[in-house]
Amino acid sequence: MKEILLAFIGSYCPAILFNIERKNLFWAGLCGASGWMSYKTILTSTNSGIFAVFIAAIVVSIMSEVMAKILKTPSTVFYIPSLYPIVPGIPAYYTVLYIIDKKINEAALKGLETLGSAGAIAFGILLVSTVFRFINTQNLNNKGH
Amino acid sequence: MEVKEVLNIALLSGEILLTSGSEIYRVEDTIDRICSAYGIECEAFVTPTGIIISGWAINGPNESMSLVKRIRNRTINLHNIELINTFSRELQESTMSYDQALNKLNDMKKAPYFPFVTRLVAAGFTSFAYTVLFKGTIIDGIFAAVISMLIYSILENMKRFNFSQYFGIFFCSLTAGLISIAASHLISSLIVNSIIVGSIMILVPGLAITNGIRDALHGDILSSQARVVEALIVVTSIGVGVGISLILMKYWM
Repeated sequence: MKEILLAFIGSYCPAILFNIERKNLFWAGLCGASGWMSYKTILTSTNSGIFAVFIAAIVVSIMSEVMAKILKTPSTVFYIPSLYPIVPGIPAYYTVLYIIDKKINEAALKGLETLGSAGAIAFGILLVSTVFRFINTQNLNNKGH
Repeated sequence: MEVKEVLNIALLSGEILLTSGSEIYRVEDTIDRICSAYGIECEAFVTPTGIIISGWAINGPNESMSLVKRIRNRTINLHNIELINTFSRELQESTMSYDQALNKLNDMKKAPYFPFVTRLVAAGFTSFAYTVLFKGTIIDGIFAAVISMLIYSILENMKRFNFSQYFGIFFCSLTAGLISIAASHLISSLIVNSIIVGSIMILVPGLAITNGIRDALHGDILSSQARVVEALIVVTSIGVGVGISLILMKYWM
């Protein structure tokens, strides 16, 4: 429960920094909290960080696409703040710190983790947005006939 | 409307989108949409550092025109992306005159931000939340919140002096590192590492790296490289800033 609340704050407040409209703030926070919860759940059950991040990205982008449809805004508005808890900013920072500290092995590990999670998130978003775009064009075609 | 005017509006919209941190494909889509709303054929080439558009009227004289715009600053401002999105959709339904459209776009450039105090508090809460989320204690979180509010206001004030963006980030992470170390010396129960990690959470470019890879997946390989390299420079400035403060700590203790 504590973590849900923290993850909620952790997406709600960056959303203010990224300047999104007031009425969308709460939904962005909700989206971020559910992304973090799915990340945690998968991480504890499979113990694979990259897979957990991938699933979390899929959950976040499905929610953002649905909210974007309902609230009539671009889906970017929701998933940029709600990905904030899971994007690999801190691993990237540790990579540089280990290099400075001459711990090359750890640096390589963290660097690969950074690239892996960033790639997994990007791929998750792409997957969902492709599906949603496909549904959209299908709908348009059906209306046209 | 003339070709030149249409291209100008498309370029201005593209500029606002790109400086607000939009994806490349969205910028190109928007430019295409605006041009086609006025019956103009166009080809747009967008990178994070510049926009090139050329356009020609579909049933007009057979000559084309090109415009180039250099983009220097990129932040994340999702409200502007939203505004341009509605603007381009409005244009598709009913076109407006050149002056009307230009006024609308210029208004967007100064669209209301949240007041400085709100953003400052938001920065503080962000760092608090992440410190506790990444296994720090509540007291660590409070320290991280104070530090991040400090570095956020330094960063905002530095924008006025036209320093390099990376210097600002370097200076902020150096400050964060030094204050965290000093604080952990005064109160021995604090964990330096979680305070530093929490307070630089507002600086780290996790989103930039992810967005860079997303651009590559959309086929914009060039933009992807630009974004990933930018993120690398940002994270290097953070790492060097914090690293220096940690080395200083070892030297003094």
